[in-house]
Amino acid sequence: MSKANKNDNSRRNFLQKLGIAGASAVAGSALLLQGCNNSNKASGNKVKVLTADNKLVEVDVAHLQPGDKIKDLEYLQDRGREGIPGKKFVMVVDLAKCKNARKCMKACQSAHQLKPEMHHINVLEMDDPVRHTSYYMPKPCQHCDNPPCVSVCPVDATFKRQDGIVLIDNERCIGCRFCVAACPYSARSFNWTEPKDAEEFAEVTYDMELNVPQKKGTVTKCAFSADRLRVGKLPYCVSACPNGVYYFGDANEDLVTNGTTKKTVRLSALLDENAAYTLMPELGTKPSVYYLPPRQSKG
Amino acid sequence: MKNYKHYRLIILFCLCFLAVANVNAQSDWQLTAKENESLSPFLFDDDMILEGKISYENSCTSCHGMPGQADYTPMAPSPGDPASDQFQLQSDGALFHKIKTGRGTMPKFEDVFADDETWNLVAFIRSFNENYKQPVPDLGGIEIPEYSMKLAFDENIDKLVVKVFAKELPQSDVSVSAFVKGSFGKYLIGKAQTDELGIAYVDVDPTLPGDAEGKLDIMVKVTKGYGLAKMNANMIMAKPTVRKSAIEGRHIWSNDKNAPIWLKVSFFITIFGVWLVLFFIVIGLRGINKANKEEE
Amino acid sequence: MNDTITKENLNDDQIDQDLLKNVNWGNKFKLWLAFLSVSLIICLYFYYQQLQHGLGVTGLHDYVSWGIYISNFVFFVATSLIGMLISSVLGLMNVHWVKPLARIAELVAVAFAIVAGLIIITDMGRPDRLLNVFMHGRVQSPIVWDIAVIVTYVAISVLLLYIPLLPDIALCRDKLKNVPKWQQKMYKILALGWSGKTRQFKIMNNYTRILLILIIPIALSIHTVTSWLFAMTLRSGWDSPIFGPYFVSGAFVAGCAAVIITMFFFQRNFKLQKYITTDHFDRMGKLLVLVALVYVYFNINEIIVPGYKANTADAKHVDEMLYGHESLMFWLVQLGGLVIPFLLILFKPMRKPLPLTLISIVVLAGAWFKRVLIVVPTQLSPYYPIQNVPEKWNHYSPTVPEIAITLASFILVLIIMTVLAKLFPVISIWEVKEEMNHNKELA
Repeated sequence: MSKANKNDNSRRNFLQKLGIAGASAVAGSALLLQGCNNSNKASGNKVKVLTADNKLVEVDVAHLQPGDKIKDLEYLQDRGREGIPGKKFVMVVDLAKCKNARKCMKACQSAHQLKPEMHHINVLEMDDPVRHTSYYMPKPCQHCDNPPCVSVCPVDATFKRQDGIVLIDNERCIGCRFCVAACPYSARSFNWTEPKDAEEFAEVTYDMELNVPQKKGTVTKCAFSADRLRVGKLPYCVSACPNGVYYFGDANEDLVTNGTTKKTVRLSALLDENAAYTLMPELGTKPSVYYLPPRQSKG
Repeated sequence: MKNYKHYRLIILFCLCFLAVANVNAQSDWQLTAKENESLSPFLFDDDMILEGKISYENSCTSCHGMPGQADYTPMAPSPGDPASDQFQLQSDGALFHKIKTGRGTMPKFEDVFADDETWNLVAFIRSFNENYKQPVPDLGGIEIPEYSMKLAFDENIDKLVVKVFAKELPQSDVSVSAFVKGSFGKYLIGKAQTDELGIAYVDVDPTLPGDAEGKLDIMVKVTKGYGLAKMNANMIMAKPTVRKSAIEGRHIWSNDKNAPIWLKVSFFITIFGVWLVLFFIVIGLRGINKANKEEE
Repeated sequence: MNDTITKENLNDDQIDQDLLKNVNWGNKFKLWLAFLSVSLIICLYFYYQQLQHGLGVTGLHDYVSWGIYISNFVFFVATSLIGMLISSVLGLMNVHWVKPLARIAELVAVAFAIVAGLIIITDMGRPDRLLNVFMHGRVQSPIVWDIAVIVTYVAISVLLLYIPLLPDIALCRDKLKNVPKWQQKMYKILALGWSGKTRQFKIMNNYTRILLILIIPIALSIHTVTSWLFAMTLRSGWDSPIFGPYFVSGAFVAGCAAVIITMFFFQRNFKLQKYITTDHFDRMGKLLVLVALVYVYFNINEIIVPGYKANTADAKHVDEMLYGHESLMFWLVQLGGLVIPFLLILFKPMRKPLPLTLISIVVLAGAWFKRVLIVVPTQLSPYYPIQNVPEKWNHYSPTVPEIAITLASFILVLIIMTVLAKLFPVISIWEVKEEMNHNKELA
């Protein structure tokens, strides 16, 4: 009962917000145009929104407030496929620092509406054959530059964007699981049954950059938290790590930022100085995730 | 000199004491009144807190854990949580000097951090105390100067030239730090002090990638005492880099529109070719009925 | 030259009578059909469950995301390939003895190919989005190629079944007067006004010949592309350049076995001993020996090459097969389902109808499990360890709904084959007559 109420409330709030944006956009007042600090040139993309008195009006996407845009599926789908121009996102995982805290897995699972056995990022205990010890290796999707999963998709449901991120559109996925079979890193997961808390998410508009709400019968995968990158925030897993394992950034800038310490360093220097490697380079998948070896940490 | 000897004796004493008695000797930390009362020459701001955080995570977490989480290493004497009253009730000067000098298992950081970096750490520790208000000395009517600056890039020597003014006059001995504004954080290009002409030269790595024209988004911060100024700029100072899209060209993994030509051609020619033949055969089957009439 | 057709002198009327006898809807057949339909409905109930609750009702999970549905699909595509070998390759080479078997082979091909297409749908997480494949199809995806060639293969196979059937449909139209009205009407329409004119024979022969040639590359494609669903990935055990020919040679083994079983069934039920003779079985047995030999050769290649090099992941895969978890199934399939039957068929008494049919059933079952061995173990040895998931994700065992849905595909094949066999003569009457007259002339 209370859950239903909450849903209802949030929906009303959202309609009201839309109503305000819609009504003022229709009025086309100069005041609103002044109010928008970003570009408010009409983009030509129209969306339908409900006004406060329950009328459907068409509004240019550029005239909506950021909070309102994200309720429109078509807008979200276009944005998700387009990606962020000029960026090439990379992750660096410092294995020497990983202490298997698993905060990354938790943050990821709660952000992406995943069941406990579903992983966008999975911390594996790996054998070190030389030293006869084991080390912990977080394994997200490698966001390959030659992605075998994308090659085999029959319907373009999984695709690579201009910023290097490999995403899945679960509005289009037919659930053939060819990508799951093709991924050598076992980075993909499938919604075999009704997703977790499906009822709670029933009203939420699908955002492929977050891949929420999850849908039964579709594949899900790590998205490098594309929704967070868009607003200049580090991915969920990167921010959640207490041990400074993850660096994340833009290879075009040659800068990566540590999610724990927030220290920003040069990507090329970090990789060179620490003898970085990628997983199974012999497969030619060209991952965007680099690993720093599990050596004795110098701090 | 005498003071110094005195100090060493105390440390020696403390160490012996710890080894034998193993007690929490926090109160035994001897500081002079002057040290206790010394104040930060900088106003704590977000930048200082952030830099303090970086230093803290690199050098302090292994014993003290993250402030506020009480996840410090259990040992004796207890390192304690810097967010706790045990720390927060001490003066800024006390924290500063204790970090500098160390005691027992607490290492001495005098040689690790410069004074301003140590103050960053104090600023970070203070950021966990909501009630904290930074004590500032009585400036005796001296005004905190308002700094302004001019930026230029000398491409012959790959240096960022920063000239600092206050009221149109060049200022010497001002600390200048320049950062690149990355997507997720600021990257420190370098630090320098202004000379008597008010000019500081910051080394810039020529391999830093800029945009197509070599422009970089930078932030320059100048500080001296409680005086502080920041300036954002977008200027040509780095290697011009063309930012390619990650999906350029035709690949097996591209979307259908950008499929390799050879693949498209061979697939469609084969399938349509075969279906064309089948279509003709189905149409041609009408000839069977026609044959009846022809031969009649 | 032609000892496969009985030496007895049969006149045309006798042949018509013998071969049209099966075209009727007797009570026995109705009972059989009812039995099949009820079983199918029971199995489809499980599919309804799967639609309701998602693929979670199966034993599949993130590490074995392709299970017996896909193995079964590969098996069906494989079996359907035999139509091409018997009617096309041997037919074009003018091997006379296979002529009476061509229609049976096409029947097997059509039934298995159509059902293969349906099996793929049962494996989809979102069958409601099937149209996406046509709306958003990517030409780079082997699935798109597979769908394209399977649809094409079904179309050619149906035409190849239908066009040489024209004279026989006309015969049904003319001779069968005591069948229901709708059936007479159907014959009338399907016969296309056939009256046995020379020109009509010429059209028929021309078209058949074109289709016989066209079907060879398409048939090779369907199974090669099906093998590419696996070979185009980077998974050890699948990542093999010989997968195409490996699958094709395996397909002929399964197909031969399926045709032998069907032949036996038709011979006994429709009393066709004069047309499907012991000699036919003998020759099919020899054909089975030949294709099994080729398949054994590919199997050796598939194991010994990665086994010798022992590349980390490949070595693990080969070990699992030879000594590990999969070894029992592996050796049962290789020895019981391939080598021992092959050795047995070398002896003439084993090529008699009954023993050969029994052996073929074993071979067919082996072929089915072989597909499971191709699909599943590779997924169970991924490059990175299976961790932080339920323990049962280290194995794969199909559930009841999954098995029932798989059974449904076999029931559907039986329905299609028996219905077609009850509507049309299973042996080409006009060709038998032609052959018989040809023999008489020789004599």
